[in-house]
Amino acid sequence: MTSHATEKSSAGSATTWLLAEYDSPAACMHAAEKLRDAGYRDFDTHTPFPIHGMDRAMGLPDSRLGWIVLAMAATGLASAVSMMVWMNGIDYPIVVGGKPPISIPSMVPVAFELTVLFSAFGAVFGMFGLNKLPRHHHPLFESERFRAATTDKFFVSVSSSDPKYDADTTRQLLESAHAAHVESIEEVRS
Amino acid sequence: MDGRPIVREADLEEFKRNPSFAREMAEHPPLKSIYPDHDYSRGYQWGMVIDLNACIGCGACTIACQSENNIPIVGKEQVSRGREMHWIRNDRYYVGDTDNPQIVHQPVACQQCENAPCEEVCPVAATSHDKEGLNTMNYNRCIGTRYCSNNCPYKVRRFNFFNYVKDMPEVIRMAQNPDVTVRSRGVMEKCTFCIQRLIRTKRNAKKENRTVKDGEIQTACQQACPAKAIYFGNINDPESNVSILKTNDRNYELLGELNVRPRNSYLAKLRNPHPLLKGYEPDEV
Amino acid sequence: MANGTENIAGYSNPEHVAGGKFSFRSLTDKISGITERKTPPVWFVAFGAASSLLLVLLGSIGYLVWEGVGIWGLNNPVGWGWAIINFVWWVGIGHAGTLISAVLFLFRQKWRTSINRAAEAMTIFAVICALLFPGIHVGRVWHAYYMFPLPSQMGIWPNFKSPLLWDVFAVGTYFTVSTLFWYVGLIPDLATLRDRATSRVRQLVYGFLSLGWLGSNRHWQNYERAYMILAALSTPLVLSVHSVVSFDFATSVEPGWHTTIFPPYFVAGAIFSGFAMVLTLMLIVRVVFGLTELITLKHIELMNKIILVTGMLVGYAYAMEFFIAWYSGNPYERYVFINRATGPYAWAYWTMISCNVISPQLFWWKKLRTNIPLTFVISIVVNIGMWFERFVIIVTSLHRDFLPSSWGYFRPTVVDVATYMGSIGLFMTLFLLFIRWVPSIAMAEIKGVLPEADPHYGHGDEHAHAAVGVAAKAEA
Repeated sequence: MTSHATEKSSAGSATTWLLAEYDSPAACMHAAEKLRDAGYRDFDTHTPFPIHGMDRAMGLPDSRLGWIVLAMAATGLASAVSMMVWMNGIDYPIVVGGKPPISIPSMVPVAFELTVLFSAFGAVFGMFGLNKLPRHHHPLFESERFRAATTDKFFVSVSSSDPKYDADTTRQLLESAHAAHVESIEEVRS
Repeated sequence: MDGRPIVREADLEEFKRNPSFAREMAEHPPLKSIYPDHDYSRGYQWGMVIDLNACIGCGACTIACQSENNIPIVGKEQVSRGREMHWIRNDRYYVGDTDNPQIVHQPVACQQCENAPCEEVCPVAATSHDKEGLNTMNYNRCIGTRYCSNNCPYKVRRFNFFNYVKDMPEVIRMAQNPDVTVRSRGVMEKCTFCIQRLIRTKRNAKKENRTVKDGEIQTACQQACPAKAIYFGNINDPESNVSILKTNDRNYELLGELNVRPRNSYLAKLRNPHPLLKGYEPDEV
Repeated sequence: MANGTENIAGYSNPEHVAGGKFSFRSLTDKISGITERKTPPVWFVAFGAASSLLLVLLGSIGYLVWEGVGIWGLNNPVGWGWAIINFVWWVGIGHAGTLISAVLFLFRQKWRTSINRAAEAMTIFAVICALLFPGIHVGRVWHAYYMFPLPSQMGIWPNFKSPLLWDVFAVGTYFTVSTLFWYVGLIPDLATLRDRATSRVRQLVYGFLSLGWLGSNRHWQNYERAYMILAALSTPLVLSVHSVVSFDFATSVEPGWHTTIFPPYFVAGAIFSGFAMVLTLMLIVRVVFGLTELITLKHIELMNKIILVTGMLVGYAYAMEFFIAWYSGNPYERYVFINRATGPYAWAYWTMISCNVISPQLFWWKKLRTNIPLTFVISIVVNIGMWFERFVIIVTSLHRDFLPSSWGYFRPTVVDVATYMGSIGLFMTLFLLFIRWVPSIAMAEIKGVLPEADPHYGHGDEHAHAAVGVAAKAEA
């Protein structure tokens, strides 16, 4: 656990991350709580599965995804009903089975399905949007040890864009939570 | 007929006792619909009545229809598989004693139901109702899901399982009616009340600035029937033959209890056997 | 590891999940290893058989489109035969996957994590096989796009009152949402495979597909919310999609079809046949790929219980149909049911009853429902029975309906059978590809329900206690 003397980043230059590796979910969560309590905002944890209570440990607000899905559901419902009313009722009205061209009961199945479909799109693509995925190149992937983040190790990364970031203080904070390894990663800007 | 009131008949005594026996042979529940009835009170509204008393089951209607509407000949093997294409068919039922049965005939064509079960289930809107009460079949829109024929209680819809006209001999080609489309493989077809004749006659009437007279339009089946069992005309005209016949005591709708409101109806058959001709009871159907 | 960790933080018995014998790494190694090792020879044999059947399918479809629907056994009155039976059969099978993924998730049944990935994959492949049939059974396949609400030269639009059109939207939505749900669930596991990749090709492929996932908790937060929303959406989808499929029959006028019991009856039947198919597949996969400690006897027993329950629901529906047909006094309806049991297709009807109602009753006995060879046999028998159920519904109602003059008989042709077997080939081909290249158990999810995943796991760990203290303070 050697210390690196890394320059503090200044606005406009490459971002540095401090990446700490932990062996258990508890240790990782503890580290996150320490960072949260110390006032850090621009940090993250990287785990192979979501850990219970980590959102609170990091001080994260609730996900906004629900609102996106609700908006999409309403869009779906409105599109379905207007589509059917326009197509079968206004643009080319046909009489089938002696029933009036615009009839609400027969519109229910399609309206329901389109509401669900649009909501699902909202959930998936909204989630991708909120997470800014796909993002195939992230500087953290430069770390060899980071590969274990999807298997059995738990990482905490602190970005130098956080106002409280200091190469030495932050490193000490991370190590005090029993980190197995801490390394510094620089973003390579071409 | 397995106890079903399909061909309704009575002997003369029963008819005298109860003239509207035909309507009482089936329990007809009222239509309780959440939708208002469609308004068919304006313009021509085509309807047909078939008098079962007159029908002798000769089949001339079937052949006339085949000739008029370019109905394909499918061959013996396909008929044995149940794929004959006739738009109007003659149903024959045995009634009475199995050792000495009586026979009844019933020509069945598309009933042009006002509440057509076939129209509702077509996903591509290939069949719908026109404002004259016809159930129209749109061949170039039909993709052949066959849901309409499944839903037709009368099974009058015919599907082109193969390209039946592929190897049509030249002579038969020349005999085809140029006013009627030849259907391709994969589409559904059925009786259209000879719509080509309707259109031609209406157009001529319009040119002469008059309405179509009763009896001016004859469907092919009506024209060919030697017994004059088929009547066709405008049910919106209270003086047309069909309108008068539809008020007849013997008038009943085939499967009318399904509330599909067919435009086609039948006049029940009457028998008047000599009392010494045994083996037949009118109530045994 | 397993002792002394029972029921922490509300987890169900750890024996259900991974048998208490795995660590995060050993679990990852075991499951990823299947996709990383050389292909076992038995896979090639199975794939050869499956792809031969797939070729049979392609040939049958080609012949069908070339000659016409007449090469099948259909006629007047039986306008729908094997194609629609197969369609409903495959859609029904697909429903179990969604139930396992979505409904069991909402009910917090942790044991689902061993089987949900494969079950969802099965759903997607089953729905692909299902969607094939309405596409090809139409008379003019090259115009099948008329069913979509696209502008056309004729100016006319599809008829939204038609149940077939509701099917298009329902099954289409179901396929799309199931695929999205499956893919979203896969992303963390694909990232695992990317991070373990030893060849550049694997790294690129899995890397591309995992979208750059780095296990960030900010991402996990939105991800978990999306997963829960998808599960909440998929649950009404399971119920509605097969109900809409049942509307193809229930909204028609045919006796034997026109009955309100169809939606719940079809949904119960779908879950019934779907779980049977999951069992058939899982019993083979767990042995061939050595996953018996992850897909345990407990899982099998739970699935058998579900099969027993849904089988009884289906049996109840059969009895109720009969009763209502009699009680209604409708002569056409009464005749259809008497004809089913005693007419020309009685052999099909009694096959259905013995496969669907009688055979699952064996699962009342624990000894029998924990018997693996018997489970395998019954899972296949159930699916045969469910195929016959659709046969009975479709063919017997159509062949003798209102007018006796129209009564007929339906006989399948060789092409009908070949198309059906070919669809099984399509399903198996896709499933085998899935098993070989995609992690067949949801690694991230199963790790998440192991006792070690709980941050408060383990006694005598000071930091765990401190974490508990902090968490308790945060909760207060």
